[in-house]
Amino acid sequence: MPLINLPAFSADLLAEFESLGTLRVDTPVIQPAEPFLAMAGEDLRRRIFMTESETGESLCLRPEFTIPVCLRHIETATGTPKRYAYLGEVFRQRREGGNEFYQAGIEDLGDTDIAASDARAVGNAMRVVANRLPGRRLAVTLGDQSVFEAVVGACGLPGGWQKRLIHAFGDQKHLQKLLAELADPKAAGVFGPEVERLAIAGMLDDEVRLVAHIGETMEATGYSTNASRSPQDIARRLKEKMELANTRLDPETLDLVREFLALDMPLAEAPAALFRFAEKTGLTLDGALARFDARVAALAGIGADVDVIRYRAAFGRPLDYYTGLVFEVEVEGTPAVLAGGGRFDRLLTLLGAREHIPAVGFSLWLDRIEAAIAASGGAA
Amino acid sequence: MTITIALPSKGRMKDDASAIFERAGMKIVAVGNDRSYRGRVEGWDDVEIAFLSASEISRELGNGSIDFGVTGEDLVREGLANADARVEFCARLGFGHADVVVAVPEIWYDVDTMADLGDVAADFRARHGRRLAIATKYWRLTQNHFSGSHGIQLYHIVESLGATEGAPASGSADIIVDITSTGSTLHANHLKTLADGVILRSEACLVRARKPAHDGDPIVGRILSAVRDAL
Repeated sequence: MPLINLPAFSADLLAEFESLGTLRVDTPVIQPAEPFLAMAGEDLRRRIFMTESETGESLCLRPEFTIPVCLRHIETATGTPKRYAYLGEVFRQRREGGNEFYQAGIEDLGDTDIAASDARAVGNAMRVVANRLPGRRLAVTLGDQSVFEAVVGACGLPGGWQKRLIHAFGDQKHLQKLLAELADPKAAGVFGPEVERLAIAGMLDDEVRLVAHIGETMEATGYSTNASRSPQDIARRLKEKMELANTRLDPETLDLVREFLALDMPLAEAPAALFRFAEKTGLTLDGALARFDARVAALAGIGADVDVIRYRAAFGRPLDYYTGLVFEVEVEGTPAVLAGGGRFDRLLTLLGAREHIPAVGFSLWLDRIEAAIAASGGAA
Repeated sequence: MTITIALPSKGRMKDDASAIFERAGMKIVAVGNDRSYRGRVEGWDDVEIAFLSASEISRELGNGSIDFGVTGEDLVREGLANADARVEFCARLGFGHADVVVAVPEIWYDVDTMADLGDVAADFRARHGRRLAIATKYWRLTQNHFSGSHGIQLYHIVESLGATEGAPASGSADIIVDITSTGSTLHANHLKTLADGVILRSEACLVRARKPAHDGDPIVGRILSAVRDAL
């Protein structure tokens, strides 16, 4: 039975999803809250609607579909590849706009042809938005975290720094702060007096003794060595931190990372520009660039309008389950994101899947698409 | 109009607050007996005193049912979203000092800054199969400090309403966010404060609920200048 507040184009959209070879699924509106908080972080708590079951389990109103669709896939264990489609209401506390609105989208799970499935996600998202807004020119922004990871890796930074930078990718402010720290010798690591004593005792170079010392101290102070971080964890990261503190990024390398992050150009020009960047800087980015090129070729191959897509090197999402492609679809000249998507190869194993399942998908903001239809004077 | 000032109903906070008002020429007398929860100010007929618990004072300031309150800044900032838009911190009163701090086990030799903690939090799930757990009663202050100021998202708050310092040793949380005045309780529990882990340096404040009716009310101005002059 259609709900009275469904966007008028919902039936067309679902028919289109079906013609794209997807399987429509539904997920309960009331979901366990833990998976959302575990994946997106504690800050999400303020932006979702939470309640408790009679037994004290934290529940929430579905704030998005990707996690429920993936959980459903894991539970039903019907194997991959699978292409799921959904359309339904989601609930979030927003400063602007209503707290309940419709989203629809496709999640493509288990296709091992990365370039083809990436291109299909971008192409399908563009197509369904374009079909709702005939005659309007779209503007698509595309980013790829794996290229950034390759750049950072090729710069020869120690593992700890690579992890920090990659973790901050997509959060411009945080990333620029980290780069400034890397360049500025004043911002050395802070070490407590205890570490100096360990250094004098010669323990910092002797991991076995250090681990034993930490273990004994934990025992003596009533800290269990298995409830939280173990002596090995602490000793290993202490070593990593000393590396972090002793690493300076020379100005040339820093410029190079900044130059990379400033890249912003039509997607069609990006493969050549990235190749030139790698050649000029002497960084070995071959694998990442080959995958990038394959995706651009696949997009052209399925007939997507590549001319409206821009590549922006710094574009990413600071969520650690996004691993590669991210993209957003807008109408040219308007700021509203009508569709957003990306590759989340790490999500299914984080949610409990036993084998690695590559995944890519997108979701549509149906309320914003309705507004765009109204703004262009069309009937919905 | 009658102005209501809420004061802490017991303990050191009550005595210290009463002393300041007395120095300000606003001697507070209980209505009825000493244990009464209502009072008045000698010579100030349009001022009423309500004795409430410190956390109630922050709540009542937020919903505007009192005009002024004396309570800890930590309770106001924890209790009210957008505190500065809803209340004005008029005067810091010089007692009830307590810092809200992030503290980790002393044995975490590799963690002395929020950046260190960010590294540990980012790796925690992969290593331990769960998020870094923070014991605290300060949900809002913790979220603002971790997520807002330091970009740390992957943690889990375990609500703790007492003996929070014991949580890391007992294994119910990894680290804590709590108040400390001298640091001795932290030290006794083998915890250390991070170098940039002070979230708030709190003390008792005279706080005003922002109400349109206060604009141009002479009593509001008189109370403010009397208290400020007594400091």
